[in-house]
Amino acid sequence: MKELAQLLNEMQSAGVIQNYALFGATAQMRYTEPVATLDADVLVAVPSPDRLDALGGIYEFCAAKGYHPEGEAIQVGAWPVQFVPAFSPLTREAMEQAETADFEGVPFRVVRADYLAVIALSVGRAKDCARILALLESDSVSREEIERLAVRHGLAEAWRRFERRFLND
Amino acid sequence: MTEIEQLLARQARWQKSRKALSWPEKIRMAEQIRASVAQWRSLAGYNAAAVHKSKSVRA
Repeated sequence: MKELAQLLNEMQSAGVIQNYALFGATAQMRYTEPVATLDADVLVAVPSPDRLDALGGIYEFCAAKGYHPEGEAIQVGAWPVQFVPAFSPLTREAMEQAETADFEGVPFRVVRADYLAVIALSVGRAKDCARILALLESDSVSREEIERLAVRHGLAEAWRRFERRFLND
Repeated sequence: MTEIEQLLARQARWQKSRKALSWPEKIRMAEQIRASVAQWRSLAGYNAAAVHKSKSVRA
């Protein structure tokens, strides 16, 4: 993961990406106990998002550094990495508001707990519901913080459904 | 405290101790279980395909 942090910082310095932030299960683990996951997910802002091959620059940069694609991911050290363009106002904001964590001496931008929860809410699979519950249980985010962010991003009904299903007695 | 309650309390203590690990340590733990998870998922996929094939053959 340190290798990935270094690669992303280099990519940003080289202008291949404008910004990035780790999200998904690997980011969740900053706050909760370790969880089983197969890959690392990274939100990216690319200079030309409307191009058909918006991720082309990333793939070229990685190939030049010796990191090659495997399926839909690029293998970086132990982790297959999925690069996801920040595609919506929610994911763009999550990336912009990300925190810079220290990963064994390397700065690593990571999506905050409240945004991780609301991104999970927007996706809504069983494992996303489990992620929200784990984040709440870890006290890294409160119900009120999730609600505020969810309402702002048009997910008020999804949050109400989640509360009815998992949190209300 | 019943045996079950003791077991749950022990599990809660264990989970809490894992939560207190540093983020890099948790990532290393996740790396260690990745291989097993991948193997399990491919096996699950293989079994599902085998069941589907078996049903198709019978049909």
